[in-house]
Amino acid sequence: MSLTLAIPSKGRLMEKSLAALKSAGIDVIAGETRSYRTSVSGFDGLDVLLLSASEIARQLRDGAIDFGVTGEDLIRESMPDADGQVDFVARLSFGHADVVVAVPEAWVDVATMDDLGDIAGSFRARHGRRLRIATKYWRLTQGFFTRLHGIQSYRIVESLGATEGAPAAGSADIIVDITSTGSTLTANQLKVLADGTILKSEACLLCSKTRPREAGDRALAEDLARRFRG
Amino acid sequence: MQAGNDTIGPALDALFATRGAFAAEPPIILPAEPYLDTAGEALRRRIFLTRGEGGETLCLRPDFTIPVCIRHIEEAAELPKRYCYRGLVFRQRADGPAEFVQAGIEDLGEDHRAEADARALADALAALQTAGLDPAGLNVILGDQGLFEAVLRALGLPQGWQRRLIRTFGHDDQLKAVLDALAKGPEDTLEGIEPQLVELARDREEGALTRLIRSRMEEAGLPPHSGRSPGEIAARLIEKVAVAEARLGEGALKLLEAFLAIDCSLDAAADRLAELMGGAGLDLGRAMTVFETRNLALQAANVDLAALNYRAAFGRPIDYYTGLVFEVRQPGGSDALAGGGRYDRLMTMLGATQPIPAVGFALWLDRVAADLETRGGAA
Repeated sequence: MSLTLAIPSKGRLMEKSLAALKSAGIDVIAGETRSYRTSVSGFDGLDVLLLSASEIARQLRDGAIDFGVTGEDLIRESMPDADGQVDFVARLSFGHADVVVAVPEAWVDVATMDDLGDIAGSFRARHGRRLRIATKYWRLTQGFFTRLHGIQSYRIVESLGATEGAPAAGSADIIVDITSTGSTLTANQLKVLADGTILKSEACLLCSKTRPREAGDRALAEDLARRFRG
Repeated sequence: MQAGNDTIGPALDALFATRGAFAAEPPIILPAEPYLDTAGEALRRRIFLTRGEGGETLCLRPDFTIPVCIRHIEEAAELPKRYCYRGLVFRQRADGPAEFVQAGIEDLGEDHRAEADARALADALAALQTAGLDPAGLNVILGDQGLFEAVLRALGLPQGWQRRLIRTFGHDDQLKAVLDALAKGPEDTLEGIEPQLVELARDREEGALTRLIRSRMEEAGLPPHSGRSPGEIAARLIEKVAVAEARLGEGALKLLEAFLAIDCSLDAAADRLAELMGGAGLDLGRAMTVFETRNLALQAANVDLAALNYRAAFGRPIDYYTGLVFEVRQPGGSDALAGGGRYDRLMTMLGATQPIPAVGFALWLDRVAADLETRGGAA
């Protein structure tokens, strides 16, 4: 009988995850640098792995691990049906970040998604190409633009870093990105649309629903979840 | 392949040949860019994408229209020209199969739009009949975006509202939401815009606004020749302020709602439209002529107008569709057996140097075959 739990492998997310486990009575000692294994005390049969936050989301989706701590943004981005694929065991009150739609401040006529829809609709006729959105969140972007706001005409430009620089670099017109304080957006003279918050994300403890578990492991998983549900 | 296609397929090929259509055989693996560019990003999650060795995005053929049109442009073929096709298309779905057999005709470059529209619909019905379905028992629904746009123009709605409404045409929920917003009035639409800018826009100070916006763009380091220009932003702000401070009269809103509620047999549609518009003293002009000419052409093609349904709100919220759209299903059936429409904006989007009128239709052969099977009437 054993369960696997993955937590982010570096930085503040790792520290806060370790603290969250500790307050649930689980002590995790990360091994030497570059090792992704840990030693665990306080919960028998639990293996804790150190992985990147986005890898944790993928492994939860694929049922390769039982539990994971990662951002809700990454979960919803990597799964077509997050609520059917993972159980949100607990929201952990750290790693707060909003996924937002931001446009250049110079677009003084654009304050809402309706404005953006109007511009996207006639963009091609004016500029010979679609409105371009730089983002690493193509699933969230599509869901928000297409399903919620009925905006069809735009193109996503995949961005793997420094998304906020895309408008100035000329590689995109607007962006969809995470922001916690908004200071990076302001520094790049971008503004968030009034109704442009796609998701208010934070770190969550998640349990994979697609992972096959035997009866013993199921009971163990219940025990672990209970410690966090309080 | 579903049962029935072995005999249906060749029969359709023969029918299409007698209708003067040239068989197009596009490859199954195609560049994805034209699809994403024309249909929009929403398609990305519904098609099968892969990468070529050189990094280009490829997809499994999601439909025939786009490759047929692209090949026509590349070959600079003579116009008008009709193409037919039959083969597999691939779409991702949450459940159910991901490959389907489609057959259809694309009619490119026919300037007599009403006649070409009528022929597309008549050929679609003939194809369903060839496949073994009784056209008299089928539910055919027809819409016309041209009429909707003409109503908005006739009502004299501000451009900004017209664009917003046209964008949602064919999507009932969104259209209703926009209408509700217009009915409620414009109260909060200027929220979040600096008062100083609203003042300038109200005074139509386009030059001053443009200069102000240009300096902000320079400050932000935005590239001056890519994307929205300062003048464009200033002009839209002026329009937006004007729209926000205009009011949609109650009469106009009621008329628009009454128009969108029209749902009747096609032979009664012209009278219904004339009655509604005439009562308000409005003239739909050329759009109405196109509609009536098309109906005459349908009758000439032996299509019984009384058996077709016209629904004023029926359309496709994809911006290259411009006029006629239609769908054929079994009464109460959820899946369309055939669908088609006019897409006059597509050819230039795909690179044609001048506008080319285009209309087409496709049959979903698996659904047709399944339908025949459940009815025990398989050919």
